Amino acid sequence: MLISPTLAAAADGAHAVGSAPGWVLLIPMLPMLAVVLNTLAAVFRVRTKLPAWTTIACLAGSFVATLFAFMALSGQTSVVTAWSWFDLSWGTGQGQRFVADFGFYIDNLTLLWMLFVTGLATLIAVYASEYMEHDVGKGYTRFFVAFALFVFSMTCLVMGDNMLMLYLGWEGVGLCSYLLIGYFYKKPSAVAAAKKAFIVNRIGDLGLAIGVMLTFVHFGTLEYAQLFQSEQLQGYIAAVQEGRAGDVPLMAQLIAVFLMIGAFGKSAQFPLYVWLPDAMEGPTPVSALIHAATMVTAGVYLIARMLPVFLVSEWALPVVAWVGTFTALLAATIGMAQFDIKRIMAYSTVSQLGYMFAGVAMLSSVGGVYHVVTHAFFKALLFLCCGAVMHGFAGQLDLRKLSGLWHMKGWRVVSVGMLIGCLNLAGVPFTAGFFSKDMIIAEAFVTPGYGFSFLGWTLLFTAGLTAYYTFRVFFRVFTGPVQYEPGDEHHGHDNDHGHDHGHGDHAHDDHGHPSSESLGHQDHGHDHFHPHPPRFAINFVLATLSVLAILAAGLYFVTPEKHGWVGSMLESTTAHNVYTADHSAAAMFLIDEDAHAAHDTHADASHGDHAAHGSILGFDPHKVMYYISAIFGLTGIGLAAYLHGPKGLVSGFLGNRVEAGRCRMDAVAKAFDPIPRWAENKWYVDELYHFLFVRPLWVVAHVFHAIDKLFVDGLVNLFGYLPRLLGRGAQPGQSGVLNGYALSMAGGVGVILFIVVLVTL
Amino acid sequence: MVLLLLIVIPLICAGLIVFNPREQAKYIAAGGSLVSVVFGVVALAGFDWSRGNVDQMLVSIEWAPALGLNLALGVDSVSLLLIALTILLGPICVIGSFTAITENQKTFYAWLLILQSAMVGVFCARDLVLFYICFEFTLVPMYVLIAMFGSSNRRRASTKFFLYTFTGSVVALAGFAYVAWQHAAQTGAWSFDMAALGETARGLTAIQQAWVLLALMAGFAVKVPLFPVHTWLPLAHTEAPTAGSVILAGVLLKLGTYGVYKFVLPFAPEAVLNYAPLMAVLAIIGIVYAGLICWVQTDIKKLVAYSSVSHLGFCMLGLFAVNAVGVSGSVLYMISHGLSTGALFLMIGMMYERYHTRSMKEVSGLGSKMPVWSTFMVFFVMASVGLPGLNGFVSEIMCLFGTFQSGPWTGEAGITPGATFGMLGPVFAAIAGTGMVVAAIYLLYMTGKIVWGPLREPDGHHHHDVLPTDLSVREIGVLLPLAAGCLIFGLYPLPLMKAIEAPVNDTVAYVQSLNTGETGRVMVWTAAHDEGTHTDAAHGEADHNADEHSGEGH
Repeated sequence: MLISPTLAAAADGAHAVGSAPGWVLLIPMLPMLAVVLNTLAAVFRVRTKLPAWTTIACLAGSFVATLFAFMALSGQTSVVTAWSWFDLSWGTGQGQRFVADFGFYIDNLTLLWMLFVTGLATLIAVYASEYMEHDVGKGYTRFFVAFALFVFSMTCLVMGDNMLMLYLGWEGVGLCSYLLIGYFYKKPSAVAAAKKAFIVNRIGDLGLAIGVMLTFVHFGTLEYAQLFQSEQLQGYIAAVQEGRAGDVPLMAQLIAVFLMIGAFGKSAQFPLYVWLPDAMEGPTPVSALIHAATMVTAGVYLIARMLPVFLVSEWALPVVAWVGTFTALLAATIGMAQFDIKRIMAYSTVSQLGYMFAGVAMLSSVGGVYHVVTHAFFKALLFLCCGAVMHGFAGQLDLRKLSGLWHMKGWRVVSVGMLIGCLNLAGVPFTAGFFSKDMIIAEAFVTPGYGFSFLGWTLLFTAGLTAYYTFRVFFRVFTGPVQYEPGDEHHGHDNDHGHDHGHGDHAHDDHGHPSSESLGHQDHGHDHFHPHPPRFAINFVLATLSVLAILAAGLYFVTPEKHGWVGSMLESTTAHNVYTADHSAAAMFLIDEDAHAAHDTHADASHGDHAAHGSILGFDPHKVMYYISAIFGLTGIGLAAYLHGPKGLVSGFLGNRVEAGRCRMDAVAKAFDPIPRWAENKWYVDELYHFLFVRPLWVVAHVFHAIDKLFVDGLVNLFGYLPRLLGRGAQPGQSGVLNGYALSMAGGVGVILFIVVLVTL
Repeated sequence: MVLLLLIVIPLICAGLIVFNPREQAKYIAAGGSLVSVVFGVVALAGFDWSRGNVDQMLVSIEWAPALGLNLALGVDSVSLLLIALTILLGPICVIGSFTAITENQKTFYAWLLILQSAMVGVFCARDLVLFYICFEFTLVPMYVLIAMFGSSNRRRASTKFFLYTFTGSVVALAGFAYVAWQHAAQTGAWSFDMAALGETARGLTAIQQAWVLLALMAGFAVKVPLFPVHTWLPLAHTEAPTAGSVILAGVLLKLGTYGVYKFVLPFAPEAVLNYAPLMAVLAIIGIVYAGLICWVQTDIKKLVAYSSVSHLGFCMLGLFAVNAVGVSGSVLYMISHGLSTGALFLMIGMMYERYHTRSMKEVSGLGSKMPVWSTFMVFFVMASVGLPGLNGFVSEIMCLFGTFQSGPWTGEAGITPGATFGMLGPVFAAIAGTGMVVAAIYLLYMTGKIVWGPLREPDGHHHHDVLPTDLSVREIGVLLPLAAGCLIFGLYPLPLMKAIEAPVNDTVAYVQSLNTGETGRVMVWTAAHDEGTHTDAAHGEADHNADEHSGEGH
């Protein structure tokens, strides 16, 4: 059992809670203002781009306020209350008051999240102002109302000072997600996707709600400030450190398990990940902001925020690690076989979220959160590039029908942006994605836990797959001969017919082989179609995000002794208390958070404990991970180049693709036959869920309905019928003979008396 | 005096309607209900909210002194808030019916106003006989509204509604009579004063209380309605005219939960404790069962009607949690459900007026045709789903919270300080919580059909000759107060919460005072008491069950 000296500092230092200045309320209230103004715009039927400018201005203001807050309050923990929301007391003792203010909790974890949420939201609003312009006067205002409401909800989620505020934000972002996925509401597929997202999220929300209630019963408070300070929680943590994990009550350990279910729902982890790929039905800016960069990282935030509660549970974090890793692998395999580039990005989001979960669960909260940040930039960039392609090619997203965009006029910014995003996602050395991913994987080999090193290898393998599918998209769509086929959205997006190309409805035989004559705009049918490259707003946003995605790597080198800037940010928060779980001994102990810096001390100290500091192939994971993961990543890219690369890539050695629809992969896919097809069909998980849950529930509902009609109501009707029946039976009694009446009256009174006596005795 | 006015004004207006020309009926009714609103505001302003648990604005007129009968009126904060809800819904129902009711207008509006009087009477009665008279009398106007102004199957629906609820209430009357009789036997004088009878009832033995509880529940459970005595509701709702449905969902169902709050909890605390698990199980069955039934409806009005059964399950659950959070949550639920479900019925009525169908098979995708209507629809659906920031969430989460806290915990500071004494617990709350998921399933299913998707209108649909395609100003005006209510209630429920804190705490105290602290009653479910080993859930559950049996034996 090892107790780090940093524990005491971490436990005490983080909890001096002050009160924040009132202007911090601008961060949530400006997006709310945008909601109100946009609603007014809707009421007055504004048919210009005004809602976009309102939203951009308010969100930018919110971002500036966040920057000021960052400068003024960094390193402190403070609370500011807007108004009192819930307050009910039934006694004066501890826990006899149910309080939840509409208040905001500002610490570095919050600020970190808010910086990239408001920053990205502003940029993406700028992008959307151009992207959504087809819908000016139609759904434009509706889009920006929901967009601004989303940012408001996100601020409540991240900044809320109690768990009910978190829950408010949690469901609020779910609502906005629902409204925005269903933005093209005439398309049945979009409606179904929106509904699915909300309902699957609700399952997670139920877990979260139970976790919140359990927290209240156990700690008598919902407010972070009190919760993290409570003697009880400190007592449990102490018990865990001293190896008395068994002393923590079972129900207190369950808190983390239920919170985890909530996190899995919102962050699309197995088994609740199925909604996220479908969520791509929404407009692309929404996919970029909500379903890639911000909302889906809420689960990671939840675990980081509640890390002390997770640490007192013996199973919560290992389960999170396993689920995260499994999700990463599963989603990557599905992503490899998709043809819709937006769906590939969606699956890669699920996969990368798996990395983040594995990161926080393997006690590298810094790695997990750093990956959240880098991923936010490069994945938003990737989505926005896909959106630009979709926008320019009338909704075309099939990578078999697009080729050579790099060489087309006006598409260079998109192409470069895509390349930068892909390099990050693939984890090419010296990109931001490389550093953040390495941090997570290295920790898998360091932290002892049930099979964590196996998880580490899985994550490495998945990194290779990620590199492959990422560059598959890049090589197919952006390199090679210029060939394209437009999608079916000739007149904007808000049309009645959905784009039904590609989503798995190609039979196997022709997959990857659309007839080459149909490709190429010069051939036939598409004479009128000219792809329109993005204009200033979109290009500006893509360029900015490209720069930011590159610069995010620099964060790793700021304060290296603390694992980079993110590490220094988390130091003063609850996410900092990093322990190592020695589950084989059914106990937990704290390791030095600064494992890199204080590496030697740490290694020495852990010699007494078996396998405390793992290794990878006999090397120190922290030192060799850079090389190992680079090998996996580059191999993946090489494979993508070989199978999908254009002819002439590296003197013809790697690529040989000469047209959009054909490449070396076709033969490989054929050789492995049903597997790529199964992967393309998402391993039939949706069908399985439908068969296991939806259908039975539907049947049960019908059975209930039948029972209600026939049995429950039937019984009532029977009772209603009884008097008539009795009347018919008793008709002879109505004989008109007075004696008979008297007799029956006496009998009735007797019965009543009898009952009364019986009851009162 | 204000209370008396609140009862009398609608009656006077009903009289005016009868003696005035047909064309003026709706304006008189609107005027009368708006005047009631004014006096409602006067009542709210005149009430001393710091003493919410004390009956105020008392009116007492001697009626039959020999029997101890009084026309006693008075309100505590809970009653007053429910009166406020009733009065708020008054003009909304009247104005919302302007175009829907074209025949027999005098009858319709007169009975609507009489109904309002009766409902106000129920909430402010402080004499048991008066309460019962008003309680039963609400059936008559509602019967007329359904039977005369309902849809095709209205005769059957109205008869069933009347007989079903009447039969239940008669049993409740027997329970009341029993308590009154006990009171007379003990004190030597008849009285029907609610407070006095409550005291008597609490002095009864556990078994006697159990009889009282069962008798009262027979009346109130039908009204709520609690599974399995709910089948009158979908029928009555579907057949009733829009205003009838709004009143039915908004207020009449609350007479049942109000009855439980006002009589069952304080009259039979010991029995409440013993029967709480049973009642909670029925409530939870209602939540899930009715919720799933909603999902397979094609008639949206029937869907929303069944959703009331599901929603009021939460309300009952909160009441039988018998702790501050749960019971407050229930009281808030009564108000909140009145706003959002009332609004949903209005929305459906507005659609029905235009399309003359409520079938999701015939109408869908109204989002493109009626954007304003659709916006309101989505808003109220979200309120009904229990989205945080809107009213449904506040009350629903409190009911669940209360249920969760309500035992079997140790309830000790340092182990489970947030727990309270009670017979439910996390298992009940978790299963009831699935109702939140089910609610999302059926309500979004409905929204997905009716609001989203490609537009579909019934064959041969013509535009209404009076109503515009989308909502008229009048209709928006009817919906806006409800929408504002939902939003304010959701974001700033504190005034309501504080207003009912004192009376709820008083009511809860009757049950909580039974907590003797002996381990027979209070369950242990944490490891701290079990030297080193975990007391697992199954163990806790076994203890719990064992206790239920012993509890009944007291």
